[in-house]
Amino acid sequence: MSFRVMPFRVMRFRLLPVLALLAALVAAQPAPAQDANTLTVFAAASLRNALDDFNAQYTKATGVKVNASYAATSALAKQLESGAPADVFISADIKWMDYTVEHKLVNAGTRVNLLGNELVMIAPKDSKLDKVSIAKGFDIARLAGDGRIAVADVKAVPAGRYAKAALESLGVFDKAEPKLAQAENVRAALAYVSRGETAIGIVYATDAKADPSVKVIGAFPEGSYPPVTYPVAATPAAKPAAAGYLEMLRSRAARATFEKYGFSYLIKPTT
Amino acid sequence: MLDLTPQDWTAIMLSLRVALVATAFALPPGVAVAWLLARKDFWGKSILNGVIYLPLVLPPVVTGYLLLLAFGRKGPVGAFLAEQFGIVFAFRWTGAALACGVMSFPLMVGAIRLSIEAIDRRLEDAASTLGANGVWVFLTVTLPLALPGIIAGAVLAFARALGEFGATITFVSNIPGETQTISAAIYTLTQVPGGDAQALNLVIVAVALSLAALIVSEWFNRRAGARTHGA
Amino acid sequence: MLTVDVEKTLGETRIAARFESDGGATALFGPSGAGKTSIVNMIAGLVTPDRGRIVFDGEALFDDMKGLDMPAYQRRIGCVFQEGRLFPHLSVRRNLDYGRWMRGLPRDGGQFAQVVDMLDIGTLMERRPGALSGGERQRVALGRALLMKPRALLLDEPLASLDTARKREILPYFERLRDEAKLPMIYVSHDAGEVRRIARRVVRLEDGRVVATGGHELLDEPASAALAAN
Repeated sequence: MSFRVMPFRVMRFRLLPVLALLAALVAAQPAPAQDANTLTVFAAASLRNALDDFNAQYTKATGVKVNASYAATSALAKQLESGAPADVFISADIKWMDYTVEHKLVNAGTRVNLLGNELVMIAPKDSKLDKVSIAKGFDIARLAGDGRIAVADVKAVPAGRYAKAALESLGVFDKAEPKLAQAENVRAALAYVSRGETAIGIVYATDAKADPSVKVIGAFPEGSYPPVTYPVAATPAAKPAAAGYLEMLRSRAARATFEKYGFSYLIKPTT
Repeated sequence: MLDLTPQDWTAIMLSLRVALVATAFALPPGVAVAWLLARKDFWGKSILNGVIYLPLVLPPVVTGYLLLLAFGRKGPVGAFLAEQFGIVFAFRWTGAALACGVMSFPLMVGAIRLSIEAIDRRLEDAASTLGANGVWVFLTVTLPLALPGIIAGAVLAFARALGEFGATITFVSNIPGETQTISAAIYTLTQVPGGDAQALNLVIVAVALSLAALIVSEWFNRRAGARTHGA
Repeated sequence: MLTVDVEKTLGETRIAARFESDGGATALFGPSGAGKTSIVNMIAGLVTPDRGRIVFDGEALFDDMKGLDMPAYQRRIGCVFQEGRLFPHLSVRRNLDYGRWMRGLPRDGGQFAQVVDMLDIGTLMERRPGALSGGERQRVALGRALLMKPRALLLDEPLASLDTARKREILPYFERLRDEAKLPMIYVSHDAGEVRRIARRVVRLEDGRVVATGGHELLDEPASAALAAN
């Protein structure tokens, strides 16, 4: 194959349209969220539906777009540590927020404990299980049967850690451990139950509410796990609009939105 | 030396087992499909080619999700296999092996196909004039001459299987001792504050294993090549 | 003994050849592109004709009217190709033994010794084809075809890739072969000198067609004269 066969003159014309197309594609890339009119929000996976709703309201009110990234809190914290350019971070537990404060990844002065949640046990909608009493020493192995218990990763992800804490304080973690199917985040655990792939699962009450294919079969007693708290904070290099975003999170309208999805609102609304 | 916990060892042994099983089971269909694509023309050939290369271009999580749909406890194939043969993939190391096998299949087929295409068909013709039917031609001429490529494909698949993460964790989740391979263990450790040091240990092991696989394959390659071209 | 009546269109070329061979050595003679190799491939069963018949000793190898197409591996026709086509991963000994083993024939030490002796390949047994010279390769290829006990031999330009000195060296082996093996032989070549020494009967081909059949006189005529005569 010899390119000398085609005179350069001709090649130039053949290549030209291709190069032009490539140039156009590159130029047409959406500008990165560097422009002042977009906020990047890192939020725990369990916030997805509720925060999407709030973000839409926020954008409508202010014209500022929100780029929300939902993942396990642990994954998000690690990304912040690696320098990910987020403006706002909403964690699903205190520990990870402490971690980010310690590593100076968020502005401690902006930190607010915004939302609460509850831990429930769920099963697929068509499961024979119903109304389970979750108390000390309850027979979780029998509930799981020959299936598994879907949870988020119990070492790192808040939802998984809460679940492990609850099971431990109820004295059944040893029985449950061999049956756990640890997912990457709480929504993935929810999906396992939703699809009927596992017999039961432990997720937040808000997750169960969001998925019609699962039903809540029991709630974990208060005190068996640390209270689920969602702190929110802005990053040190956050855009100016972040302040307004945090402000709006503390409004009555925001409270109404989050409560609609089943979250408990922990502070007194300021507006 | 590296300070590996029992859990680390579990992850390593599991990874090796999963990768070996995945490669071993993928090899026969891999050779068959590669031969088909290299030597035969048929209706739907490009579709087959596309389907095979799908795991290479789809995000691994998507592949894992499709596996979940098909081979999960409630999936059509998964339910059938569990009922009829007692073969369960969901949340078991067999599922991890399936995910690894599927993800590394295109790499294997690609390498083997290339080596089969490089074989002079006239040699196969000569063999048939000497009385060898299709199967015998394949066994006595094509296969031995394609061996370097088959080995390369198998090693590539093995290495890919060792490193598989996205599809595996989506399909069979992260269960220490059952589906938590090296990659999943490293991932979990990096998510736990203070787990970075232990994660690094596992990373070193993973790199060492891949290097070892490459060295072994190179050795086999040389031997196979010598048989073909040596005096 | 061998009746060939085939038609095939290969790209731009149309082959329509009809000839007979009555045992002994018959040459397919003509310039390159005349279709000689294609015809030989059809006789061997490596290429399927569009139409026609190929009959050997009363047994039909191909007959499109009857929907008959015997696969190559059943035809028992030994082939020697221009490039030798020895199996590079097998020793000379294994190459020689290949056809006999494939056909499930019992060992024939007598024939083996005889062929090895005739072709002077005794010293090459444990070598690989990669370590052989061109001439040695062709002799081994010849031996391999013979040792499968074929009912006929097809030789497609077996000397074309050798230099003159090698050709001169090997030609006697083919002559011995013709005299001692008593197998019908079809010898394809564009070289009149080779044909003159090997075959009595000549089938002359041009542009995919048989333009004349006869003896050595066909080797002397230039192309156009042969065409005019038919």
